Amino acid sequence: MFNNIKLSLFLASRSMIKGNKSTLLLIIFIMSLIFVNLVFIGSIFLGVTEATNKQVINSLYSNVVIEPKEDEKYISDVYSLEQKIKGVPGVVGISSQYVTGATLSHKDKHGTWTVRAVNPDDEMKVTTNHNYLIAGNYLSKLDENEILLGKEIAGGYGGDLEYSSLGVKVGDSIDVLFDNGVKKSYRVKGIFDANFIQTNTMAYISQKEMESVIGLEDKASQILVKTRDNGNEDWYIKQLLEMGIKEKIKPWTVYAGMVKNITNSFDMIAMMISAIGLFVAVITIFIIVYTSTISKRRQIGILRAVGIEESVIIQSYIFQAMFIVISGIFIGLIIIFFAIKPWFIEHPLKFPIGLASLLILPEKVSINAISLIIAALAAGFIPSWLAVRKTIIDAMWGE
Amino acid sequence: MTWDKANESLIEIKDLSRIYTMGEVKVKALDNVTFDIKRGEFAAIMGKSGSGKSTLLHQLGLLDMPTSGEIIFNGNNILGLSESEKARFRLLKFGYVFQEYALLPELTALENVYLPAMALGRKKEEYLKAGTEVLGQVGLGTRLHHRPREMSGGEQQRVAIARALINKPDILFADEPTANLDSISSKQIIELFQKLNKETGLTILMVTHEPDDMKYVSTVVWLRDGELAERGK
Repeated sequence: MFNNIKLSLFLASRSMIKGNKSTLLLIIFIMSLIFVNLVFIGSIFLGVTEATNKQVINSLYSNVVIEPKEDEKYISDVYSLEQKIKGVPGVVGISSQYVTGATLSHKDKHGTWTVRAVNPDDEMKVTTNHNYLIAGNYLSKLDENEILLGKEIAGGYGGDLEYSSLGVKVGDSIDVLFDNGVKKSYRVKGIFDANFIQTNTMAYISQKEMESVIGLEDKASQILVKTRDNGNEDWYIKQLLEMGIKEKIKPWTVYAGMVKNITNSFDMIAMMISAIGLFVAVITIFIIVYTSTISKRRQIGILRAVGIEESVIIQSYIFQAMFIVISGIFIGLIIIFFAIKPWFIEHPLKFPIGLASLLILPEKVSINAISLIIAALAAGFIPSWLAVRKTIIDAMWGE
Repeated sequence: MTWDKANESLIEIKDLSRIYTMGEVKVKALDNVTFDIKRGEFAAIMGKSGSGKSTLLHQLGLLDMPTSGEIIFNGNNILGLSESEKARFRLLKFGYVFQEYALLPELTALENVYLPAMALGRKKEEYLKAGTEVLGQVGLGTRLHHRPREMSGGEQQRVAIARALINKPDILFADEPTANLDSISSKQIIELFQKLNKETGLTILMVTHEPDDMKYVSTVVWLRDGELAERGK
């Protein structure tokens, strides 16, 4: 067994060393491109999905969202509820918000957008929007008559919805007509670009200001809960429920229907492209090995005539296919980790859902590498097996 | 070699037939051929072109499967062996020399020669030593690391002989080994066979169409239209 492997390796190595090196290098390069393609497609889609998920968490809903009980418009007794939530280990921020629709207008332009009223100090612990100001300043707790606008509302910053924006700058005054009929003027205090179209179409005012508009206190439309880690939302929800909270408690994923659609579509596209890539790899290796067995038919016959077992000959072709694929994977990994990944970190792709880079997961890379190796095994085996099926006489004299 | 041993049959061929089917037509390449080869014999198979010489050698060397008959080697019918057992048998017991040298072009002379020894699982130092020795034996001690394309036809054929000898086979099959060689190289090859036969007692069965080769061999098996015509000299 070991001797057969040694002999197969000897034949494979001699065949490759003494064969056409330029062709061999070209084939290895093609394999590396196939591998890069397999990893890249999956990673870019994963990166976009990851970026979308992060945006939903960091700029819109945080990890867990508490909503009013059934048939109630607001959560009541917010202060005591917040104290309960703070008691859950791992909760790192809470932001109670009023959320309402409002018509914002400036001169002859107007539009309806979502306005969130927040305690800026609490909000900064839950979302990251304060880090993405492109003009002016963030809100303060005691701000009155001041408003923070997403860039799609303000306009003038290259947004995707520029045609419907108000075209205002920091310091301009805009009118806001709330759902309850109250109309007030606000000075634009700041403009932000969270790199996420859903966030950039929202406006923020202070909680104190909103309470003066709706005439309520210690209430909220929703409470966002930031947890120490992502992905364990169910555990936190269980803890919150066990504390006797009666309001509706949901993970962020419930609000990410769009993300789910994107993720599912991306998974399907990635799978299809990977399957095509693997198929191309199989065909390429098959053709290489098949051509080799055809051109070396007589040599295969000679080997068998002198007593070399068929399995040794098949193994030698499989080893050649494996060498090509493993070298291709190795070069592909170098291309991915030393060229493509650094380039994408420097130049992330810009999508409406945010900036996306490659998300290269070791397990996905391993699966791609193993798939390619298995493909090489099959593509190396079949033509060499067909070649040794011929009789020795046919192989040697081509009858 | 004792008298008893010398007269012992190494290979007995019994009623060996090989029929090729080409569509509706059946061609009888060998027809109930029966004879034996004694241990230590240097025998030639002769006959006109198409008489079945090479076909007979292919059956004896287990390169092809006869339609009927038996090949008894050292008392055992070797046609019942599995493909992998036949491969092992060829490796251990048989040596082959083909008309077209049949060397692997990517291997050096030494690598071509030690390949069957390597396949037997011999240690590296052993097969290197044996390969070097056997190449020296055929007069190519200075061409160990040359590739086939760097050698003349006669030299390539001697490499093929060295490869056939490395595992110390019981019998050497040679299929028109001088057909592609000039007269000087041909003579050298036949004399080498004669020397091997006389000095080592190696049994040799050679297909040839050269009448001159008759003077080197002890026995001639004459074939005519796939049938055994005569055995003698």
